[in-house]
Amino acid sequence: MLKKVLIANRGEIALRINRACRELGIATVAIFSEPDRPSMWVKQADQAFCVGPGPVARSYLNIPNIISTALITGADAVHPGYGFLAENARFAEICADHGLTFIGPQPRVIAAMGDKATAKRVMKEAGVPITPGTDILENAEAAAAAAKKLGYPVLLKATAGGGGKGMREVRAPEALEAAFVTAQAEAEANFKDGRMYMEKLIERPRHIEVQILGDSFGNVVHLGERDCSVQKPSHQKLIEESPAPALSDRIRKSLHTMAVRACQAVGYVNAGTLEFLVSGNDVYFMEMNTRIQVEHPVTEMVYGIDLIKEQIRIASGESLGYAQNDLKPAGHAIECRINAENAENNFAPAAGTLTGVVFPGGPGIRVDTYVSTGTAIPPFYDSMLAKIVAFAATRDAAIARMERALRETSIEGVNTTVGVCLEILADKRFRAGSYAIDFLPQLMRAGVS
Amino acid sequence: MRALASLEGLEGRVRALAAAFVQSGLVRLRLSRGADDAIEFRRRASSAAPRVPEAAVFSANGAPERLYDVIHADLVGIARFSRPAPAAGLALESDRELASVEALGIRTPVRSLGPGRIVSVLFDDGAPVEYGQPLFEIDRE
Repeated sequence: MLKKVLIANRGEIALRINRACRELGIATVAIFSEPDRPSMWVKQADQAFCVGPGPVARSYLNIPNIISTALITGADAVHPGYGFLAENARFAEICADHGLTFIGPQPRVIAAMGDKATAKRVMKEAGVPITPGTDILENAEAAAAAAKKLGYPVLLKATAGGGGKGMREVRAPEALEAAFVTAQAEAEANFKDGRMYMEKLIERPRHIEVQILGDSFGNVVHLGERDCSVQKPSHQKLIEESPAPALSDRIRKSLHTMAVRACQAVGYVNAGTLEFLVSGNDVYFMEMNTRIQVEHPVTEMVYGIDLIKEQIRIASGESLGYAQNDLKPAGHAIECRINAENAENNFAPAAGTLTGVVFPGGPGIRVDTYVSTGTAIPPFYDSMLAKIVAFAATRDAAIARMERALRETSIEGVNTTVGVCLEILADKRFRAGSYAIDFLPQLMRAGVS
Repeated sequence: MRALASLEGLEGRVRALAAAFVQSGLVRLRLSRGADDAIEFRRRASSAAPRVPEAAVFSANGAPERLYDVIHADLVGIARFSRPAPAAGLALESDRELASVEALGIRTPVRSLGPGRIVSVLFDDGAPVEYGQPLFEIDRE
């Protein structure tokens, strides 16, 4: 087993990893930026080192200072958490070069899954359905021919794209040329790369992802699925639940089987997530995340497994020690992300100092957070303050429990997403479990009271 | 005894003021009372994030105030004294190497950045240091 883990992250996930290490008897080293010095994960770790000033490029992405911290403290492993360096294959390689165990998959797998084209090819070879699409399109004529073949509506995408830039929905042939030209100009302006490709537009999809664990002995299991279709207009998730509601057993099983098969095909080791778009009876692979996810607690509640501890055990070279049939899910879990954001202003992030912080408790409630009264929220980082997770025997009971928990929650000093989460839980579409990724943007347009 | 009590009260007020200064994001704060009582906090203008004031010397009795330059580590590593070993009181006639920080096998010198006198050495030879850790206080006057 590993002896000392450097936690290369901040916020609630740094604290979450520290907790898993504590329970396994593993010493911890925290890192932090100058404004994060008074933070809870810094106080809870055995050792803590400042690695740079506030901006992430000089602190949480400062690979030389992070590796140096691991070496001078005698850490034997690095847990990257999520975000920052978690899916940086080069960082995983650098860890290995310095004799440090990277708690995550092999660098070659991180690199392959991080490249959209390679990931899709690998998945296609493993028999996983991918969104029908094209290679690079030379010009608008080529795009028109491709769209005719795929069938409208289609989605034009920039290969270098992100955040919706260089992306256009096209619903009819007469709109294609203008959409191609403007999207390409946008991609060139934003990414200095105007290469475009096209995919079939999946209408009103649900975002459903499958959690997997693989060890170094070739064993791969899934831990069910999570429905993450409640997304902000920016496609960031806000509420996640497991199991996914209103999903046929046939599709559920096929998602699980495909995820395991794909991970076996690439020899995947450690925790990972395959994200799918589900539209009616059609399922399409979207991407694979080669790290722990923000929303991992809902899976932990339903399966009774500590995923961070499993990551550490696997990285230590242990085998899973259980087979798929040994894993028995029970109950229903929902997570609400409590962000310092103004929902009424398109979820604009808010910085400030928190006052009057009260988190919920009682049966079936789990709160993963790093904040308390007096915590200053610096402007440099993600706006997530806490994850509130409700667990109960049924979905209805979990929703009721979450509503109760959100009403117990008080955070003053900044705007938060507590109110919009309550609105979502009360919505009849959410209650029915029949929501897709357009649900929250629609709700916002209609005006949350 | 009365003077001591009043000094203790003063120290508390200075500490509160220093804390407020650190929070404020101000680069320089000077308060004076009459001709000979003054206090000043200062930090490097280039630092965007609030950090510990460079040095603050309170002069309650009219003695001239003294400000010391603080030299910080700008990377994480093992700090070692250069030779001759720096020590409090050592006069520096010009810019010279005082120490080095070794990280990932690379040795980065820590220089005095000009002449002065070492007021204090704030780390032990061979100790691990973090980003921004104060290493030396230098009197430039």
